[in-house]
Formats: sequence, structure tokens, C-alpha cells
Amino acid sequence: MTTNKFYNAIFAAGITFILACLMIGVKLDTEGTTLAVKGATTEQWMWIFGGIGVVFLSQLFSSQIDSLFGKMPKPKLGALLPEEKKMATLKPWLLAALITVMLIWPFMVSRGSVDLATLTLIYIMLGLGLNIVVGLAGLLDLGFVAFYAVGAYTYALLSEYFGMSFWACLPISAGLAALFGFLLGFPVLRLRGDYLAIVTLGFGEIIRILLNNWTAVTGGPNGISGIAKPTLFGLEFTRRAKEEGAETFHQYFDLSYSSSYKVIFLYLIAVLLVIFVVYLINRLMRMPIGRAWEALREDEIACRSLGLNRTAIKLSAFTIGASTAGFAGAFFAARQGFISPESFIFIESAIILAIVVLGGMGSQVGVILAAIVMTILPELAREFSEYRMLLFGLLMVLMMRWRPEGLVPMKRPHLELKQQ
Amino acid sequence: MNQFRKTMLGLGSAICIMGMTASAQAETLKIGLAGPATGPVAQYGDMQKIGVMAAIEDINKAGGVNGMMLEGVIYDDACDPKQAVAIANKIVNDGVSHVVGHLCSSSTEPATDIYEEEGVLMITAASTSPSITEKGYQMVFRTIGLDSLQGTMAAQYILDTAKPSRVAVVHDKQQYGEGLATSVRDQLAANGLEAVMFEGVTSGDKDFSALIAKLKKEDVDFVYYGGYHPELGLILRQSAEKGFNAQFMGPEGIVNSDLAKIAGDAVEGVLATAPKSFDQNPVNEARVAAISAKGEDPTGPFVFTAYAAVEVMTKAMAATGSTDTEKLASHIRANAVDTAIGTVKYDEKGDLTESTFLVYNLHKDGSKTPAQ
Amino acid sequence: MSEFSLYLLQQLINGLTIGSTYALIAIGYTMVYGIIGMINFAHGEIYMIGSYVTFIVIAGLVSMGVVSLPIILVIALIVAMFIASTYGWTVERVAYRPLRGSNRLIPLISAIGMSIFLQNYVVLSQGSRDVALPPQITGGWAFGDPSSFEVTLSYMQLMIFAMTFITMTVLTLFISRSRMGRACRACAEDLGMTNLLGINTNKIIALTFVIGAALAAIAGLLLGLYYGVVNPFVGFIAGLKAFTAAVLGGIGSIPGAVLGGLVLGVTEAMTAAFFPSEYKDVVAFSLLVTILLFRPSGLLGKPEIEKV
Repeated sequence: MTTNKFYNAIFAAGITFILACLMIGVKLDTEGTTLAVKGATTEQWMWIFGGIGVVFLSQLFSSQIDSLFGKMPKPKLGALLPEEKKMATLKPWLLAALITVMLIWPFMVSRGSVDLATLTLIYIMLGLGLNIVVGLAGLLDLGFVAFYAVGAYTYALLSEYFGMSFWACLPISAGLAALFGFLLGFPVLRLRGDYLAIVTLGFGEIIRILLNNWTAVTGGPNGISGIAKPTLFGLEFTRRAKEEGAETFHQYFDLSYSSSYKVIFLYLIAVLLVIFVVYLINRLMRMPIGRAWEALREDEIACRSLGLNRTAIKLSAFTIGASTAGFAGAFFAARQGFISPESFIFIESAIILAIVVLGGMGSQVGVILAAIVMTILPELAREFSEYRMLLFGLLMVLMMRWRPEGLVPMKRPHLELKQQ
Repeated sequence: MNQFRKTMLGLGSAICIMGMTASAQAETLKIGLAGPATGPVAQYGDMQKIGVMAAIEDINKAGGVNGMMLEGVIYDDACDPKQAVAIANKIVNDGVSHVVGHLCSSSTEPATDIYEEEGVLMITAASTSPSITEKGYQMVFRTIGLDSLQGTMAAQYILDTAKPSRVAVVHDKQQYGEGLATSVRDQLAANGLEAVMFEGVTSGDKDFSALIAKLKKEDVDFVYYGGYHPELGLILRQSAEKGFNAQFMGPEGIVNSDLAKIAGDAVEGVLATAPKSFDQNPVNEARVAAISAKGEDPTGPFVFTAYAAVEVMTKAMAATGSTDTEKLASHIRANAVDTAIGTVKYDEKGDLTESTFLVYNLHKDGSKTPAQ
Repeated sequence: MSEFSLYLLQQLINGLTIGSTYALIAIGYTMVYGIIGMINFAHGEIYMIGSYVTFIVIAGLVSMGVVSLPIILVIALIVAMFIASTYGWTVERVAYRPLRGSNRLIPLISAIGMSIFLQNYVVLSQGSRDVALPPQITGGWAFGDPSSFEVTLSYMQLMIFAMTFITMTVLTLFISRSRMGRACRACAEDLGMTNLLGINTNKIIALTFVIGAALAAIAGLLLGLYYGVVNPFVGFIAGLKAFTAAVLGGIGSIPGAVLGGLVLGVTEAMTAAFFPSEYKDVVAFSLLVTILLFRPSGLLGKPEIEKV
């Protein structure tokens, strides 16, 4: 057994050596106009051999390490919450406290943090939307960013060409994104999972390329700039009102002008939107349609034999998910003031998907938590920004290995029979 | 890895030194440096950083501005429009009110909204999109010529010197490339030379054989390409393989030693509009030497535009005796100033009044010479 | 021949060249999918690594003073296939094997993570800039009327066709004749049953990853030489196209992958030939959607029977 293990470890170390040797150990370099290779520095070689050593030892003592990890209790975030009965009474209070904190908090911190929080809230909205499609209905959508783009461009174009306000455009953006979801979903939802994944991915690319090529309307790669910011019942948050005679927010309330009002106002809108989306999805999950989504995810054939309409159910999940992305998109355009197709590339879809998976598919709390982690962590680790994407990929792999159910696994409302 | 640690170490010690000088001096003035420090275009961000840091060093050595020492603070937007907004907010947050940056036009554009509102003076050393200065903003300037100027330059050269019979205009469907290509096409058309083809390619694509066959079928003898060097390099290389010998021309985005590496001999004789090589200018000899002495590359196209951006700011500060950005902005608009890129004068919009572009011939060893 | 038909022929050659390499990469997707039913998203990155290794070996040998082109190419091919296979094997071992038998989404997400990881690993170790190699195989035939339109077929394109053809033949023989190939087919048919019959399915699965990676390395070498440029991001785009090709031809079917690759390549070239080339990708993806709507399991795929 031990010798076996030893050979195994040698083998693993050898493989690591081969893998590292030609990519890290040798670097392509150009001298003048010819290609040359350059060996790694001694320090890099030390890193490589250090890594090989780690692999060797971890393979050699893999069983010991495993048992060590086995003894360690898995972090149970769910266990941190109080019991269900207590929870029921505590919940309204907790929620009220949380919302109050969210509303008061921006007045106490810096403008940059509020802005970052706003960005996080956008990702929360996107995560919640995709969660319906992937987490609840089990449909793998790799082109979710398309609906986000539709929402953003709807608001940007309506504001640019017709001067419509943010509040009027918000439902239109969501509606149009939903319509796109419906139109795409109608034909493709017949396809099996993996085909669905590639078709949605292709759809995301098509939308982006079309936005990029339709220069006459969307401005092509130039994007659309000068998108109007949201107003509070017609009060603008600028230093001077755009139209003659109109009053701005600070003039109306007789405050001295501060630019952070606008940032805070945007943040508050985002909070309201997120609360609205969370509430809506929470209700939907408890409705028959929500149950049907999950049932369909678990066993499609059983559902069909019970007389559920497969297409209608999938389509509803797809459409509602898309409309949430439309919301987020319109808000993103308002926050950004400028949008271009660059903001809607595949990696964005992948990040939203990662949020859903890291959070725990289907779990709303988890998705919110994951969105916060995914947007705040890179900000905190700016010095490591070169390694950011590398670690991001590694994290996705490791999470799937060790905690495929996500940070906060989904808990269904259920009754438990007590053992007699 | 090594590189990373080195930069970290360098950055750390730089911050330490800055901290020390800060404590020794009465006051420091922070200059924000916004641009990509990471991501695929980080190499251009480096050029900007080299220029700004060199300028700050030189100015501090000469005693600073109005008794204040300058300090460069790096903000990384990774050329992502979303992060650019976050960075702009952060800059406002940190109380920095003089910014050199951003680099990519798509990042600069959303950031200007914030700077204008907050009264932050911004001078970009690299963003060439015309729409940035079209909003009538007071706080936005640049030390680099506009796309449209470069387009005019190229169109004039095509009409007066190259005089081709069948022109094709190709671009990479990005803000920079398409803007230039459109400008060239329109100006050629205005002078009676209609482009026989106007087409976009996908940036990042590797196969242009279909496009080349099409150009060949149209008997094109002159191709203007709006975009960057990776795609044009491949187009040149594949054209040579397929026996398509037209004259190619491109903007300053193709002027990069990598073009010759990709396309090999096919580069010889390609035309390009580019800013005058400021590092070749005898005026900048000492600065080039100082930058080279630090082991950095002074030849990048944005090094001296970034250097000049700092100069424009600080000279206005010295002249007005204040750091108030509104005063500075109106002073910069009204007065010409001598910088590393020559005498700089601005129009109402904040653009340079004089184009600093020239037409060059590129060579296969990566060098360039002014074209006749 | 008229000018138009010569032009059409040229675009057909262009399309078949790019289609052949799509086919080589697509086989890796299709074999893995056929056996364990998962999309190996990291496959495109293996192709990219294959290209890098080719460049490193060629540059290394040239600087060591080896001048014979055939020797350089053979060594580069062997090393690239070996290294890429090692990567393919390791990816399977680290990221997919521990997840076998779990929810279908789990390995897919792990694969996307692996793809992001490998891409950034190469960015960090080799830099994100384009690395260029001078043309190694030059020259070609030209026919047609030089004054109207001349069709060119370079030796490099010919080599791509030849290599693709040889590889396909060897692979088909391997799958249909050899013991291992038979075991592969058995695994595709029914993994559990094959296991019961005493075949080490883990080994067979690892083998499919190794073969797929080796083919991707061949594609990496050919395309690396053809375009002469590689950067860490080429794998993603090529992988996406190849995966589209695999789905188009019917995922799980090897002839399907080849057909899908060629159809996709020719479609792209023809789109670029008669429409603005920026719509190339839109047409490619629209074709995919259309074909899937009318043939939900692709051109040559077997219709899936739903089992309870």
C-alpha cells in the first residue's frame, strides 16, 4: 500500500513537472523580429520545484490529509440561523432591521463604497434572475447577458431618441427583455440541456454582434453616451437643471448641492429594485408555477406524465428570468450613463452563472451572498488583480469538488415528520 | 511571477519613498493616473504610467509646483467601462481633483460625466474618440490628436500622393477603428474617390482569407485599415501568401513593433499615420535618457503625451498660482503652453488645435521613416 | 472557368481549410460527450496550449541550430501532442473525475472554471501579447487567369487537408478495429454495463481525453503554423466554434464532428464572401439554431431516447 502510494506520488510529481516545465519554465520571447525562447529565472524554477514538492507530499499523505479534513466539520452556514420556529417570529424583525440598515448605511460611508454597493446590487439582480432559469428550472443558460443587454439598450435608446424617463422605461425594458426571452425560448426549449446551453450562448453572441454592427441606431462600437439619470418625481440631481425653470433636487429641498445625493439616490433605487425582485421571486417560488419549475428540474418525465405543460413552464421561467435581467440592464445603463457592446461579453454571463452556482443553485440568500463576495473580493484584492481571474477559475473548480451545493444550499419550505 | 513581485516591491518602495517625502514636505498634490494596469491592454497603460511618473519626478526635482510636491496615484480601470465609473467615483472620493487618463475611449467616455460634475480636471493622453469632447464639457482635455484629424491626414495623403484607382476601407468594428475608417471613407468620397468596399472584420479573428479573396476579386489596389496591429498583421501576412499586393495604410494603432513580428517582410512599405516620434525629438533627449536609465521604454506612443498632460496641468497651476480646477480649465483654454510634445494650444472643446500626426513608411525591422 | 466560379472555388478552399481544423478540435468535444455526456469546455484551451508548445519547440530547435524543417516539425508535433495530452489527462483527473455521477450542471461549471484557469495560467506564464512565428512553409500553387482572378492553394493549406485526412483515417481505424477502440464504443453505449464486463472505464475515459487533446494539439500545430500567431485567448474562440461544429454535426458522432466542422467552415467563408464579413459569426450561430430546430440532435446525431 505504502509503496503504491509512493509510486503514485512520484507519478503526480512527474506530471506536474511536465505541465509546469514548458509553460512556466520556458517563455517565448521576441528578439528583434525573430522568435526565441527564454528560460525561467532561478526564482521561478524554485517556485516550480516548490509546487512539485507540494504535489508530491500531498499525494504521499493524501489519506492522512483526507482524514484530517474529514474530521473538520464542514462549515454549515445554514446552522448559523436559529431554529425554524424561532425563525418564523424573528424573521420580520430581522428583515426590517436589515432594510433599515441598508437605507441608512449610505449616508454614513464614502461615495466610493456606495457606488460599489450599487454595482453589487446590479449583480444581485442578475444573479436572482439567472437563479430562476438555472437554479429553479434547471435550464442551463450561457447567454444570459443578452437579456441584460436588451434591457440596457432599451432604456438607452428610448432615452436618447424619445427622451423618455427612467421610470417609464424600467417596465418597458423588463417587458422587452421578457419578450426576447419568450421569442428565444419558444423554439429552443424543446432542445435538451446541452444543446440549450450552446444555443443560448450563440444567442448572446448574436445580440452582441448585432448591437455592434447596427451602427445607425445603436452607435455600434461607439455605444450610447449621455443617458439620462433617474429623477425623483421630476427633480434632477444635477448642479443645474437641464431645462429652464425646472428645479433640481437640492433647490427644491433647499439643500446645498452635493454630488453624493445622486450616488445615494441611485443606490436607493437599486435597493428598492432588489427588494421588489426578491419579494416577487419569493412569492413565485411558493406558487404552483414555482413548484412546477423545481419539479421539472428534478424529473421531466414524471412531470409530463402528471400532465404538466413542459413548454409553458420552461417558458415562464425563461421569460421571468429575462425580465429581471432587463430590470438590471436598464438600471445599469442609468448608473453608467454610457453603454457599449463591450459591457455585454460572454465572460459576464460566466460571472453571473458563477454567482448562481457559488451561492447554491436555487437559494436566494446564497445568490445574494455570492454576488456580494464576487464583487467585493476583487475590489479588496486589487493588488492581486493579475491573479484575480486565475483564482476565480480555480475557485469554480474547487467549489464544484468540495461544495457543489453552494455557499448556502437551498432549503425548501417543508414539513418534517418527527420520529415516534 | 517574478515580474509581479518585482513590481509589487517597486510599488511598495515607491509608496514608502513618496510617504517619506510627503512627511518631509509641507504639502503634496495628488495626480490621479487612471488607466489599465491589468487586462489585455495593460501594456498601453504602462506607457502612460512611465510618462506620468517621469514628468512628476522631473517636476519634483525642480522644486514642485507652487511649493507643493506632486504624487502620482495609480487607479486601475482595466479598460472596462464598468470599472471606469467605479474608479472615477473612487477618485472623487479620495479628493483627487487632477487626473491624467483614462486610456481606452470607452472607459474615458463614461468617466467624463463624473469628472465634469465634480469639477475634476481630466487630461487624457490616449483617448482619441471625437465624441469625448463633443459634450461641451469644461474639465476635459487631451494631449493627443483626434481620430478625425488622423483620418483627414490619411485621406489627404491618399488623394494627393498615393492616388490609387480602387480603394477599400476595412475596419475592426471597434470604436477606434470604425471611427477612423468612416472618417477616411467620407473624406475620400467628398473628393470624388468612392471606396469600392467598406467592411468590418471581427477583432480577435485569425482567418482573413475570405476577406482577402474578396479584395482580390474587386481588384483593389489600396486598402485603408482602421484598427490595431494584431489583425492588420495577419491580413498582411495572409495577403502576401495569397499573392494579393495592394498598398496598405493604417492609423497609429498599427504602429507597434509587434506588427513586423506578425507580418514579417510584408510590413515593408506599409503606410501609417502616427504622432511625431517625440522620443526622437532632440528637446526630449534628457527625458528619454532618464526614462531609459530606469530600465523603462521611452518609445511607446503614449509616453510623451502622458508626460505633456502633466506638464499642461502643472504649468497652468504655476501660472494661475492655484489648484482650483475651474481656474485651471479656463487658463488652459486661453493660453498656449510649451510641453514635451511641442507647443500645445486648445480650442473651445478641449481638443488640440494642431494635428501632430505625420505619414510614415513602416519597415520590416520594426522601424519607421517619414513618407514622401 | 469564369471569374465568378474561380472566386467561389477560392472561397471553398478557404472554408474547407478552416473547417478541417474546426473538425480536428470538434472531435475532442464529441468523443468526450459521447462517452460521459459532458461538455469539456476547457478543450479549446488545450488547443491553445498545443499551439504554444509548438512555437516553443520550433523556436527552441531553431536557436539550437537545427535547420531541417521536417525534423523540426516532427519533433514539434510529437512534443505538442505529448504535452497537450498530459494537460488533457490532468484536467480530467483533477476537475472531472471527482465529479462523476453528480448533477449534470456540476461538471460543466467545473469545466468553465478550468477553461478560465488555463487561459489565465498561460496569460501569467507567457504574457497576453500575440506571439508571432515567421512563416515556415511557404509557397503554393496558383491557377486561373492572373489578369482576372487567380486561385491560390498554398502548401500549408494542402498540409492541413492532408493531416486532417490522415488523422481522421487513423482515428476511424483505431475506433473500429482496435481493442481499445471497441472498449471506447462500448463505453459510449452503456458506461455501467461496460464496467460490469470488466473493462476499466476510468482508463477508457482518460484515454478519450488524451486522444481528444492530442488531436487538439495537431490542430494547434497546424493553425499555429498557418496563421503564425498565438495568444492566450485563441482557445476560447476556436473552442466555441469547434463546439458549435460538434453540435451541428450531432454531438457524440465522430463523422458528424467532421461534417459539422466542414459545413461551419464553408458557411463562414461563403458568408464573408457575399455579405459583410462582420456578420460571419451571426450566420454561423443562426445556422446552428436553425439546424437544431429541424434536427434536434444535429446532422448525423442519433435521436436520444428518453429513458425512465
